[in-house]
Amino acid sequence: MPRILSIWLPLLPLNRLVRRGDPRVAGPFAMTIEEKNAWRITHTNKKSKEAGVKPGQSLADARAICPDLLTEPCDPVREEGLLRTLWRWADVLSPQIALDSPDGLLLNIDGCAHLFGGEVDMAEYAKSRLNDLRINVRIGIADTKMAARALARFGTKFVNIAEAGKTNEIVANLPIAALGLSSAITTDLMRAGLTHIGQLSQQKSSELARRFGLELTNSISTITGQTPDPIIRKNPDTIYAARMTLPDPIGLMDDLEEILKRLATHVCKKLHADNKGARRFSLTVRCVDTGDHTMSIGFAQPCFDSKAILRQFTFPLSKLKIDFGADWFRLSAHQFEHIQLKQMSMGEKTNHSDSKYKLIDVVGNRVGFDRVRVFQHHENYLPEYGFGQIQVGNKPQESWSKAKRLRPVRLFDPPEHAKVTTSGRPPQRFVWRNTTFDTKSTKGPERLTPRWFKDKDLRTRDYWIVQTQQGQRLWLLTYPGTHKKEWYVAGEFG
Amino acid sequence: MPNHIQSAGNLKSLAKASALGKGVVTCMNLSKSMISHVEVAEGVRLKCGRIHEVSGPASDVFAMLVSAKRESEIMWIGLNREIRSLCATGIERYVSTDRIILVETVSRDEALWTTEQALRATGGFTVILDLPNTLSLKESRRFQLAAEHGGGIGLVLIKGSANNSAAQTRWFCKQLPDKNDTWEWDCLKGKNGEFGKWHVHYQGGVNATDIVHMATATSA
Repeated sequence: MPRILSIWLPLLPLNRLVRRGDPRVAGPFAMTIEEKNAWRITHTNKKSKEAGVKPGQSLADARAICPDLLTEPCDPVREEGLLRTLWRWADVLSPQIALDSPDGLLLNIDGCAHLFGGEVDMAEYAKSRLNDLRINVRIGIADTKMAARALARFGTKFVNIAEAGKTNEIVANLPIAALGLSSAITTDLMRAGLTHIGQLSQQKSSELARRFGLELTNSISTITGQTPDPIIRKNPDTIYAARMTLPDPIGLMDDLEEILKRLATHVCKKLHADNKGARRFSLTVRCVDTGDHTMSIGFAQPCFDSKAILRQFTFPLSKLKIDFGADWFRLSAHQFEHIQLKQMSMGEKTNHSDSKYKLIDVVGNRVGFDRVRVFQHHENYLPEYGFGQIQVGNKPQESWSKAKRLRPVRLFDPPEHAKVTTSGRPPQRFVWRNTTFDTKSTKGPERLTPRWFKDKDLRTRDYWIVQTQQGQRLWLLTYPGTHKKEWYVAGEFG
Repeated sequence: MPNHIQSAGNLKSLAKASALGKGVVTCMNLSKSMISHVEVAEGVRLKCGRIHEVSGPASDVFAMLVSAKRESEIMWIGLNREIRSLCATGIERYVSTDRIILVETVSRDEALWTTEQALRATGGFTVILDLPNTLSLKESRRFQLAAEHGGGIGLVLIKGSANNSAAQTRWFCKQLPDKNDTWEWDCLKGKNGEFGKWHVHYQGGVNATDIVHMATATSA
């Protein structure tokens, strides 16, 4: 059996403000969160607790109870950041640490405890170190992950230890809620008169599973260690970034490019070593007077070529206005992808595709990657839904079955109205785009019915291929069965 | 306009010139590895590393057939209205749609910039510029220089009347009402004397470039 230490940080959001030196926490203070359009209290400090404010209360109630109450909404992103910092700090205790978001850490302390003089001293050491950082903490040590978590949260003391092999006896005294089940099951168990975990072990597990579901029996077997539940160590996400600080601000374009070159070389070396390429890079330039300016560029293919980065940043850098110089720079890479190294620029074909992607990068960074597109095939008989345009780089479908009937080169959506001067089916003479056309020969109609389950326009359409005497071949459209005999030009064959 | 219509003798001499220049057609310019001409139909030859203007109601098909004869990627650049109106199911009859890259720009300036970049790129792209108004002499000269650098071909689709420009040739293309898939291609301007008028018929109907076969039905 491994030994697991669980650190619970019950007041993490509040501790964050305390550490920041917020003066409001001296008086009655609480953290809130918006839940179902209502603000609710989540964490309270000592003074507000004395005044009767409890977690779970609505903010309006809490204000009525304690008129001096000051509150602040929780900030999950920053709290997660603080938790990650503590997770890095927890290295001092054990090498195997897992995050237990949003407010806990789990450590495998096999073979580490004796370094601190035993488990009790280790837990005390962790507690006092965290208290020094002005963070409230409760600790549980047990044979299983679930048991350690439950002890930290429901134990009576700040440090609760279940000695090796005695986990089951100690856990038996904990309330049902310590199993971490959904509130519906917990309520059902309470209603059945079961209040402690120990009472569950006296019941037949088949009965429990039948009545309360497998979720309950599963969590009982994990808390007692019958089902293994190891700690999965979280590796830090590698950050591909480099930054540079200068003693004096600089402002000349050549100097900026030199800085960028050094940063890019560093970042690309890191990416290259991991066989990775990034699709986006962003550069932050901190001007002494106007603050941070962030520019970003994209690539059609994952890239780790510092020269390409330099080339793409030239345009955004030229637009940057630096009056009094900049002294802080940071280049970071985003959207990594693994890349397969291949021979560059050998042979006609790779050369062509290299220059194609280079051109897409250049154009995409200027006009936007969403505006550089390729055609994509859709399986649909309606002409306007038979194809689409998607951003280049997103691979189009390989199979492209050809249209079964002749389709125009230009398709007008919505169709353009044609003014009929000599009627007929299709009209003998009509005016479109200020030009008069005479019908010479026609082919049709091709009747298409809309998809009744999807389309808004439920009119049946008749398409005619009309060869005009003027030369143009047009695709005329009319809606049969409607009162108005209107004609439209839906496309041009060219 | 008599000066646009070549006599039969003139056309023959043009064909002769093409026979003499056959070496040029297949020869690879190793420095840029580009074929220096595209022969769209018998006698209809467009120089690479140049821009060409195409006007008339059948200009789209002309541009597509030129692109189909080349192997490089096709950049179709234009404003929203033009790019959105392109119909892939119709285009696939003339040229394979997966070779086409569309660039939809928000302004004319952006379209011009993109065209210049595409012409200047080393891939030898076929660049089709699709704008509602024509180019000025300065703009077309810039494209001309870019195309010489990149070795690709630039096709400017002109709507309305043409300006004085630096393009190598200017074509007027229209459909002939008597027969399906038959066009009249009229070369209105040619810097190296490529005048002529061709009636061409499209027999193919398959995506691949080599199956597209065009016959010179009549030469006026």
